[in-house]
Amino acid sequence: MKKTAAKPEIEQSEDAMTRRKALSWLSGFGLFGSLIITAFSNLIFIKPRATYGQPNRFSIGKPEDFPSGARVSLDVRRVCIVRDGDKIAAISTTCTHLGCIVSVSETGFACPCHGSRYDQDGNVTGGPAPRALPWYQVSLAPNGEIEVDKDTEIEPGSYLRV
Amino acid sequence: MSTQTTSPWKSLGQLPENVWRSIFRNPLPSSDLGRAQTSFTNFFLHLHPVKVHRNSLKATFTFGLGLISFFLFFILVVTGILLMFYYVPSTTQAYDRMLDLRGTVAFGIFLRNMHRWAAHGMVAAVFLHMCRVFLTGSYKPPREFNWVLGVLLLLVTLFMSFTGYLLPWDQLAFWAITVGTSIASYAPLVGKEVKFILLGDSTVGQEALLRFYVLHVAVLPAVLSLLVAIHFWRIRKDGGLSRPEVEDALPADSPAQMEVVSGPAVVMATSAAAAEAAKPVLQKRHYGIQGLVRGPFTKVGNVPDRSVFAWPNLFMAELVVFLITVAGVLLVSLFFNAPLEEPVNVMHPPNPAKAPWYFLGLQEQVSYSAFWGGVGIPTIEVLLLLIVPYIDRKIAGVGRWFARERLLANSLFLTFVVVNVILIIIGTFFRGPNWEFVSPW
Repeated sequence: MKKTAAKPEIEQSEDAMTRRKALSWLSGFGLFGSLIITAFSNLIFIKPRATYGQPNRFSIGKPEDFPSGARVSLDVRRVCIVRDGDKIAAISTTCTHLGCIVSVSETGFACPCHGSRYDQDGNVTGGPAPRALPWYQVSLAPNGEIEVDKDTEIEPGSYLRV
Repeated sequence: MSTQTTSPWKSLGQLPENVWRSIFRNPLPSSDLGRAQTSFTNFFLHLHPVKVHRNSLKATFTFGLGLISFFLFFILVVTGILLMFYYVPSTTQAYDRMLDLRGTVAFGIFLRNMHRWAAHGMVAAVFLHMCRVFLTGSYKPPREFNWVLGVLLLLVTLFMSFTGYLLPWDQLAFWAITVGTSIASYAPLVGKEVKFILLGDSTVGQEALLRFYVLHVAVLPAVLSLLVAIHFWRIRKDGGLSRPEVEDALPADSPAQMEVVSGPAVVMATSAAAAEAAKPVLQKRHYGIQGLVRGPFTKVGNVPDRSVFAWPNLFMAELVVFLITVAGVLLVSLFFNAPLEEPVNVMHPPNPAKAPWYFLGLQEQVSYSAFWGGVGIPTIEVLLLLIVPYIDRKIAGVGRWFARERLLANSLFLTFVVVNVILIIIGTFFRGPNWEFVSPW
């Protein structure tokens, strides 16, 4: 008598969504969800919002400091300031291969690590470098100084007119 | 009651013996029961089974490579903690502290040597351990997941070594990490983010040094210890080390073996019927205490038994491996100093800028194609290693070196090993300035 009464109950719990089952699923989602949120929060935490090293936006002085035809490599900033007439631009000096600092050569740039070579505009002319050297946004600050923003890459060949 | 009460003076006289007995409950064993109890009443020994198969003790089967890896890790933890007393993860101080280790700190240079050479040794030992496990077919069911854990352990070991490489803050450190993290940035979608989070900045600097230090002394050792613990536990749960499916004949002089069942109460099975009833238990034997407790009978020597007691056979073997490992590290550290180059000069990368030797195969690949050599092929290799036990599931040729049935799998694996070794040799000896081919002679 008891056995026959118990059987349909078991069958029902297998396919129908009982309250117990729904709550298990819900708490499972809750626990798993909080785990993902926690992991994600940790990732956000360890990604720095401000860096303590070299700032990526910096002032390099007045346009008059760079005479026409100048190619000044600022090694600490890892950027080369190019001035051609009234046009001014900033080209990265970090080799696109594996991050060494390229030096200014007669034909453009040369990397001492793995022999990558670039032309005056940073286009690859030899070696293992996979990409051209990026150009960075250059702007004129209100105080008349040139500001380089290494977070913003611009189309090679686009100059700031001063 | 009266026999229990003793005078305080008498207790004082028995103090040394009582303290000793309170720590070590059992005397050195003289019976098989005692040998079994020694294994499971000692904290440090209880992760071992009471009995192990003879093959697990055969030096030419395992070469003790897993244990050597573990003991090297132990040496690294001890020497690493000692070095932490003098090290400062600061770009202005780290290099000076290296010089202090050389000049003023007692045993400083020796500890640094031990730490460096044990680290190199651990990378090599873990890799060779993986080769042993593969070439003896030991990754097959039921050991698939332990193989996966092993691959993860190899990756964590490499990452441990990589993060430690930056800490001396010399030219080698700076440029190896600059090159290494640049390789990471070639990963699609997340590469740039991974590099930025790893370095805490866009270039290698103070943030990177601090991050690598935290990873090296806290995060990765914790992860590694946890994985090692599960790895060891799984050896037991997966039935011990792998062994041939067909046993060769038992040596004639093998002593009669007896197993303890149902805890300390030893019941002797005397009748033939009892021995017959014990057989199913034998076939499903684990060499762990849970296996011993499960069966109803004590087995006597009339059934073939290829296992021996862990005490003293296994523990002596482990002690020997430990002593050889320590002696090896001490000897190498006595005669060879860990390299230290010039302090970091961001303006002048050495030419060529080389990564540590075990990454030179990777760097050699990178010189052909940054993405495929640095990210694509290594990812494929790791994925293949991870899924191999789920693809190659045929239980044949397990527990034997270079089993004929495993010719294809072993050949493929050896090709992978040989190609990587050749790449490392080329990267180490045949690459000069601008990564151009040079002859070492």
